[in-house]
Amino acid sequence: MTCDEAQELITALVDHEALDLERSSLEAHLKECARCRFALEEERVLKQAIRGAGQGIRAPSELRDRILSDPRIFPGKSRPVARWQDYVWPIPHLARPAVAVALLLAIALPTFVLLKSRSEPIAIAALETYDLFLRGELPVRGTENSNEIVEQLTRAVGGHFHPMGYDLTAMDLRPVAGLVREIDGRKILVAIYQGKGGTIFCYTFLGSEADAPPNAARFFDASKKMNFYAFSSGGVNAVLHREGEVICILASEMPMEELLALAQSKAKPS
Amino acid sequence: MAGERKAAGAEQDAFAREAMVHLDHLYRVGFHLAKHQDEAQELVQETFVRALAACDQFNPGTNMKAWLTKILHNLFFDRYHQRKRWISAEDVTEQESDYWERLPAENPGPESYVLQRELSTQITHGLRRIPEEFRAPVLLVDMGDFSYDEAAEILSCPIGTIRSRLSRGRKLMQQYLRPYIGSEQERSKRK
Repeated sequence: MTCDEAQELITALVDHEALDLERSSLEAHLKECARCRFALEEERVLKQAIRGAGQGIRAPSELRDRILSDPRIFPGKSRPVARWQDYVWPIPHLARPAVAVALLLAIALPTFVLLKSRSEPIAIAALETYDLFLRGELPVRGTENSNEIVEQLTRAVGGHFHPMGYDLTAMDLRPVAGLVREIDGRKILVAIYQGKGGTIFCYTFLGSEADAPPNAARFFDASKKMNFYAFSSGGVNAVLHREGEVICILASEMPMEELLALAQSKAKPS
Repeated sequence: MAGERKAAGAEQDAFAREAMVHLDHLYRVGFHLAKHQDEAQELVQETFVRALAACDQFNPGTNMKAWLTKILHNLFFDRYHQRKRWISAEDVTEQESDYWERLPAENPGPESYVLQRELSTQITHGLRRIPEEFRAPVLLVDMGDFSYDEAAEILSCPIGTIRSRLSRGRKLMQQYLRPYIGSEQERSKRK
């Protein structure tokens, strides 16, 4: 095998796409060729670097908002307009203003009352801590002792439930701090993981799947027989799932598909 | 009748929400194909519109990420040839690939983080410089984590073409990034 012939096989080897026969002949060549061994190492480094650069690129929040409000994609949001026209169309011209005012009052008043009484979903409210922490505006006592974090958080809720103690060392992430947040009288335990792999927040609280935001995408994991709810807020991706009476939310700036895969791998069926 | 319409609407809504999980990935691909950031956004939004219009053609349980990426790439390809508004190897301007510089510089962190940003900037520059035929396989396999088989399906070409273009594309990237990246051996040699 010549070095030129080896080049494409090196690419395939880096991607774990080489056939058995190709792999064995390439490995024989590599034993003898320092230049190709060097090329193999260089290509591996490059692949990792490109992958890493990609992970830092995320869809801007304005794009996310534009898609969510695009009636061609989420037609549910455009329906009220169509119905409004449907209702008004058969009414004679002169009667239209009066009917419009009456309808506006009929629609606006209950909507106003609903908006006033409806609070932000707890899952969204909890994510505020992520942004505050990254901006250094969240006072937390850092520690590298994960057991200490778990003990402190468990004590804070009188031992009624425990924070999810995930081992994320494989992702180069370690627990660095824990805190307790109270939203609408409900205590939320927050474990913060940081490292070369980025930042992940793990929220734990007592609740049900109804705590997922209404616009979350639901995924059913057939092997675990569990639902996972994916949603985003303020540039942070989050995945919620339930284990018994406990809700766990993993939040991070990492790509949603990777966060979802992480949540699925860590979740334990009730 | 109204019930059926409601059920279809709910199905479409669920489909769109599932597709949203792949938004970051689609933007990442669009970002490296389009000439401007707003065009990348337009490309991704239009991809969602087309995907929703054709959602009945998607087989549940198959790879939605690959399906959406194929729509995005076809859309890019159509528009590139129609409007020439997208990047080609000969049509690159320095200021277009400054996404990394525009990122907020909060928490600049340790030196390694700054170096990582510089490297990421250069990778973006490099990807925008290599011809589209080599760039697409690199984007799909290295950034999108697609297999050769999936990349071949997305780009509608044989697997052998993916392999050779990927090899060539990485070679071009190596040449461009040589001052910034290399194996430990090479870096220590430079010192």
